[in-house]
Parts: sequence; structure tokens; C-alpha cells
Amino acid sequence: MGTASLLGLFQLASSSLPVGAFGYSEGLEWLVESGQVRDQATLKAWILGELSRGAPFLDAALLVRIYRAGSAGDAEAVCHWNAWLSAVRETEELRVQSWQMGHALVNLLGVLEGPLLPLARPLVTEPPWGCNFVTAFGLAAAGDELGLEETVLAYLYSWATNLVGAGVRLIPLGQTAGQLLLRQLGPALVNTLQASLELTDQDLHCCSWGLSLASMAHETQYTRLFRS
Amino acid sequence: MSTLPPLAAAASSQSGWRGDLELKFTWDSPDTKMRLVKSAAPLRTQRPFYPEGPQVCHVAVLHTAGGVVGGDQLHLSFQVEAAARVLVTSASPAKVYRSDGAWSSQCSFMRVAPGGWLEWLPQETILFRGARWSQNLRVELEPGATWLGWDLTRLGRSARGERFTAGAWHSRTEVWQAGRPLWIDPQRLQGSEELPEDPHSLRGSAVLATLAFLGQEVTADLLTEIRSLPVLGGEYGVTRLQSGLLCRYRGPSTAAAQGWFRLVWHQLRCRFLQRPACVPRVWPRL
Repeated sequence: MGTASLLGLFQLASSSLPVGAFGYSEGLEWLVESGQVRDQATLKAWILGELSRGAPFLDAALLVRIYRAGSAGDAEAVCHWNAWLSAVRETEELRVQSWQMGHALVNLLGVLEGPLLPLARPLVTEPPWGCNFVTAFGLAAAGDELGLEETVLAYLYSWATNLVGAGVRLIPLGQTAGQLLLRQLGPALVNTLQASLELTDQDLHCCSWGLSLASMAHETQYTRLFRS
Repeated sequence: MSTLPPLAAAASSQSGWRGDLELKFTWDSPDTKMRLVKSAAPLRTQRPFYPEGPQVCHVAVLHTAGGVVGGDQLHLSFQVEAAARVLVTSASPAKVYRSDGAWSSQCSFMRVAPGGWLEWLPQETILFRGARWSQNLRVELEPGATWLGWDLTRLGRSARGERFTAGAWHSRTEVWQAGRPLWIDPQRLQGSEELPEDPHSLRGSAVLATLAFLGQEVTADLLTEIRSLPVLGGEYGVTRLQSGLLCRYRGPSTAAAQGWFRLVWHQLRCRFLQRPACVPRVWPRL
């Protein structure tokens, strides 16, 4: 991989990418409030559940499809999988989050002159098709030819960084405990990447009752730091 | 290991049942009429009934073999024509027995024409430990059509302490309108020792239930009303879908889930159909 691609990946996966990920806890705020997540071990178990059968598990498989459709210049397939992403969000707050972050990244691509911007733009400007974050991420990466596997891993890493960060603030945990956890998640991130490359369309699935219920509860949680 | 009841064991031929049921509903003002297009054992229907007047047709699907065994394949198809109003339920809870390997499956297809209203409100499905069950449901909504469906699944015969530590449950529901998916719910769960306690999946519960309502915009007011309905224990949540509403339940009791879903159903009917819920006679008293 060339240095330019590496730099592109660093930028996309960075927690300073201005898409607002920092403001979302994806149900974690409710899980902490209700005592289901209370320390490093329970946070780790939750994140491992998400990676092996939850939202990021499914999103990684859909990112593979968006990346491939983007590389092939197939606008119809991009639109299809983007609509799929909207339809499988567990809750309204997760769907709104995905669209808000997606639109922020599409706007950023406009400034950065992303080559696949023409595939992403109509998803933003023609409601009711919101552009999901995974879609924008996949098109940004495919446009710069960052490599499929590297892109999926960068996506999963940035997701994990954000969730660990939310856990550190909410539980709370020390910054070093957070970094240790992030390191321990490495093998699980690679497993999710492998699964995302192998899943057929017919086998796309998830099992995330915990996320669904936590996010539904978060939509009406009285006191909170994180957005809906 | 559980032994299979004799009736179901007898039906477990090499190939299993190929049950088939196709129904069509038409609107012939002021009646909704049902036509049986196709029926193959072990699926059939009771005669339709009209407990709330001729506009709304109620019908119960009957599975005559007593339960589902590995290798069985069931197929359901309901077509609701413009303006027809229909409630389809099942005459009894469905049981899926332990399988030595073969999957049993149910594929359902439902199409609702403009102004049509279809309620798919089956009774609970009980998966025995070791069952392998795959259900696939696709709904096609034309503009202005409405679909309300629920699914209540009990993982293991929890009343007798059985846990779902082996077996598999696949449940994929897709609701499409004008070439666009409104909601896709591709759930899978693999029975294992650790899964039942994990807060991410079952959190010690045996019952998972979902109610989905699609084809109508749900206002913030209605969402608030539905969120304030009383519930009987377990964990429950409500959110909005694209053109609709989603309710989830995870807990110990199908009766609790059913009780809550009936209240939600009533609320949705009052708002969008201007009539109260009408409980079919075949349902258990709660």
C-alpha cells in the first residue's frame, strides 16, 4: 500500500474526522444507566457482541458491498445497499445518526474533491434517501482506492474507538484502560472483517436485541450526554 | 432429549411436509371477501368470520399436523386487493420440534394494494431446544397500503425449564414499497451455552417479540401515546420506522408481550382505521 493511501486511511479512521461521531453512544448511555455495562469487562463483552453479531457486524458486510459498487461506478447498486442500510437501522435515533454523519462526510468530500462524490450527492439531495455513514465512508475510500480490506478494518477501528471513548466517559474508565481495551479488541476486529468478506447477500444477518432495546430506551432517557 | 409426539413423528417422512396456503381478499363494497386460491396439507383455513361487521374479514390459519419437524416447508401467500381489510391469525401456537439436522422453514409473501389493510397476527411460535427454524417473510406494499404484523417466539420450552442452548432461529422480514425497502429485520440466533445470559442478545429471557406497523406516518403525539401504554414486566421499547412503528419485547412471558401488543394494536386501529381492536375468538384469554 502506498503512502498516499495510508494517509487517506488515517484521515478517514481518525476520531477527529468532523462527522459528529463523538456525540453518539449507540445505546451505551442507557446500558450504563441501567447497570448492564458497568466496568471494563462488561464494556468489552458488549463491544464483542456488537462486533460478532450486532450493528457493526452487519455494517462491515454492507460496507464491502458499497465499496465494490462504488469502485465499479454502479450507481444503482450504491442506491440499493444504501436503502438497505436505512431499512436495517434498529431505531429512529440510529437511523438519524447514520444519515447525519453520512451527510457530514459527503459535505466534507465536496471540499476534499472525492472522486465518487457524484454517486453520493444524489442520496443527500433527493429525500427520502438519506445517505448513510457507511455509504459515504465506502464511497470516500473506493474513490481514493484505499483497498477494500483496509477500508473495512479502518471503519471497524474508528467505530470501536468511538464506542470505547463513550464508555470511558460514561462508566467512567481511565484513559489507559480504554487504550488497553482497544488493543484487546484487535482479533475481534479482524474476525469481523473476515466475516464481512465471506457473507453472501442471502446470509446478511444480525442479532442485536440488546442494542435495539437500549437505543429505544435512550430515545426517551431523561438525563443524557449523548445525542439521539 | 425430548421425544417427538406420535402425530408429528408420523409426518416426518424423508422429505417432510410441503404445506401451502394461498388466499386472496377482495373488496366488494361493503364486504371484504376471501377466496381460497390454493391449500395443501398440513395448511388450511377455517371459514372466514366477521365479528366486527362485513368490512373486516378475519381468518385463522390451521396447521393440522400438530407441529413442525425438520424438513417441513410451509408456504403462505396473502393478497389483499384495494380497500380490503383483513386480519389473519393462526388457530393455535406453533410448535417446532427438535431436529437431528434438517431445517424446517416457512416462507410467506404478502401483497397489499392501495388502501388495503392487512394484519398478520399469528399466535406464538415455540422452538424446542435443538429446533432449526427459518422463517422468511416479504411484504410488498403499494402506495397507501398498510401492514401490521407481529411475531412472538419462545426459545425453548421455558415453562419446564428448557433453555435454548442448541438449535437455531432464523427470522428475516422485509417490507418494501415502490422498489424501496422500508424495513429489513434479518435476525439470526444460534443456540449456545453463553448466549442466553448475554445482555447483547437474550439477557436471560426466553421470549423475543416484535410488532411492526408500516405504510403510515406515525406522528410524535401517537409515538408518545404508545410509549405510555402499560406493560407487564420484561423489557420493551418503541421507535419509529421509515413510514411506521416498531415495538420490541424481550422477557419471560408471551402473555405479557401479547397483552402489550394488543394495546398497541388497539391504539393504531383507533388512529388509522377508526375502529377498536377486535380480539379473535381463537386467541387465549390474557
